[in-house]
Amino acid sequence: MLSKCWGQWTWPVNIMKDHRLETTLYKIKQLNARLVMEAIHLDEQSPLNAGNSFKKHESNKKGALTDIEKLYQAVPQLANVFRIKGKIGEGTFSSVYLAIGHVRGGREEKVALKHLIPTSHPIRIAAELQCLIIAGGQDNVMGVKYCFRKNDHVVIVMPYLEHESFSDILDSLSFEEARNYMFNLLKALKRIHHFGIVHRDVKPSNFLYNRQLQQFALVDFGLAQGTPETKVELLKVIPSETQQRSSAYNRPPLTVGSQVTSPTSRQLVHQSATKTANKRLSSISQTQIKQGHKRKEDADCHSVQRSVFGEKNFNVRSSAFQARSTVKQPRIMDIPVRKLSVKKKAISVVNNGLGKKAASGTPAHLTCDCYAKDSICSICLSRRQQIAPRAGTPGFRAPEVLTKCPNQTTAIDMWSAGIIFLSLLSGRYPFYKASDDLTALAQIMTIRGSRETIQAAKTFGKSILCSKEIPAQDLKKLCERLRGKTTSFDNSAGDVQMNPSQEFALPIGIGNASDSALQASKKYTQYQKQSTHEDGGKEKKTIQKLPESKGWDRVPNSAYDLLDKLLDLSPATRITAKDALLHPFFRNVKQ
Amino acid sequence: GSADQKVKSKLKNPFLKVEDRRCRYRPFYLQLSSFPVVNYSIPRPCSPFDVEKKNAHGQKQIHNKQRNPTNSDREKRPNHVPPKHKRRKGYCECCMKKYDDLHAHVESEQHQAFAKSSQYQVVDDIISKFSCDFLELRENTPKVKRRKCNV
Ligand SMILES: [Zn+2]
Repeated sequence: MLSKCWGQWTWPVNIMKDHRLETTLYKIKQLNARLVMEAIHLDEQSPLNAGNSFKKHESNKKGALTDIEKLYQAVPQLANVFRIKGKIGEGTFSSVYLAIGHVRGGREEKVALKHLIPTSHPIRIAAELQCLIIAGGQDNVMGVKYCFRKNDHVVIVMPYLEHESFSDILDSLSFEEARNYMFNLLKALKRIHHFGIVHRDVKPSNFLYNRQLQQFALVDFGLAQGTPETKVELLKVIPSETQQRSSAYNRPPLTVGSQVTSPTSRQLVHQSATKTANKRLSSISQTQIKQGHKRKEDADCHSVQRSVFGEKNFNVRSSAFQARSTVKQPRIMDIPVRKLSVKKKAISVVNNGLGKKAASGTPAHLTCDCYAKDSICSICLSRRQQIAPRAGTPGFRAPEVLTKCPNQTTAIDMWSAGIIFLSLLSGRYPFYKASDDLTALAQIMTIRGSRETIQAAKTFGKSILCSKEIPAQDLKKLCERLRGKTTSFDNSAGDVQMNPSQEFALPIGIGNASDSALQASKKYTQYQKQSTHEDGGKEKKTIQKLPESKGWDRVPNSAYDLLDKLLDLSPATRITAKDALLHPFFRNVKQ
Repeated sequence: GSADQKVKSKLKNPFLKVEDRRCRYRPFYLQLSSFPVVNYSIPRPCSPFDVEKKNAHGQKQIHNKQRNPTNSDREKRPNHVPPKHKRRKGYCECCMKKYDDLHAHVESEQHQAFAKSSQYQVVDDIISKFSCDFLELRENTPKVKRRKCNV
């Protein structure tokens, strides 16, 4: 088939650049498909062995090849530098291997080799590299050491950080460790948000934690998008599709503080790429896009888990956490109707803002009386589906992502950080367990209240209708109660839902926030009394175990105040990473 | 093809319906058999929304699938084939094409043409600015040669 010389680098010359550009330009339009679709395939052995000269000879025993052998085959240069020890993670879009190389002086060094799926577009690959180069290597953001490419196979070399599995250590974390964890996560988020990077997939498996060394690393920019003023030039190319397709950004520009001071060398690194990207940007608005084929995937690919570096056991946990066993398979879209309306007017002009996109002849503007009512009809169902980025993991997606709000900002990462905090405070992981977006939204409403969720959604242009009114939970009571439960608890109790009358309105006033242990323990006693009263002593029994449990009996109210601000249903008011680090909860945190 | 005769249907409780407030897009909705409930009785560290399978008579069984997705999980999802035998379906951003089998696709002529094209210049531009800290290993020996990996 092809007679490529192994071990030979491909270094395309800068020739035909313009021609290439045009083609790329055309193709990049499809990049967003990944964000919308998220193909399903998780944990198969990596069959990423592209066609090559080995194929002929090896085809018989191909099945017997290990993933490591396949990787050596795909990118032969690796063999000159690394001994690959094993696969340490696998996600939809990449596999990660642990390898050992030698640095000057002969010292051994462990690295993580991230092998990207060969269907990744070069611009996406380059954008991921740019994120690592520009934002990485500092403030708990993973950096990059090197990168190998052979044809469509790209391997990113990163420092290896040995790390714990979140669910393994969740039970044994002290309160102080949990506080540190959050502080360091927010530090990483502050850093990437400063550069205008929306990570989109913040979750424990993408935040490596070495408990012993107290080291942290935010990883995986494979789904990252840029804010309108991102410093990562290539990110401007990818998400611009979504922006244009869906609507313009409404949110005030991200405040990035003082001027960015990238080292000169770093600027050099992405200079040429930037040039390319700018050219693309200038002409992309005239391009037409094809959208029709994405819809099916959108319907059935909600729950793809991306866990790459962080999952030692290859997504076993995360595929479980997709909760495929929802009581009933939800129907997000009406399939027969979709067939009627979607396919034909798949083309629309990109270059416009709100409202214009459906102007291409679909009956989008036909009105019906289903709005905000418990009905649907052939008219409203014949409208085109709104396209908004929704990559990531259902249980960590912010309400504006779940409801397909096109204007998504760095605030979506803050929500995800809030979900992690919720796990830490409640001792539950995963906290939300949903295989699809609307189930996740229903679960959020169960915690944050249906009225509150509906109210917030209005602020970002969404109407939510919920057949049931659900009161918001008091976060402190919720977490203490969930944490208080032990495995020995009598399961026969069955469903327990908080009595709405016992709930207090959110948010918890910041005035109550205090790190004082005295005050906290007073409150604890109070709570204990209360719950004893409420549950006839049953609750008391389990709560009383808390004092031995590593500071969890003295969780200050400021913790729940911060949690409330991270889980702000409205993205415009949700706390930023910068402000969260200044929150009273982190007073006296050792840095 | 457009909505000539209007067909209307009512959503069954409990449900959740999300709409664009300007009614420009198709509403999407979820009809559940029961609305989620915080379940405090599920042992830590499981999700308080972990699926409790209720059979018709309200008997419950907690499924803790933290580590092992059960087969029943998969049965519920027709698209899901056990990993080992699964072809990897997906979408190729390079070829702008869906595929049913990743392996077959990346070996296809179209994809191979892309793989060898100059499209990757944008990646190579970045790579060319890296310096490699790692030394080249001599073949078949663990000894280290003092040479930069990419020169
Ligand atoms: Zn392809």
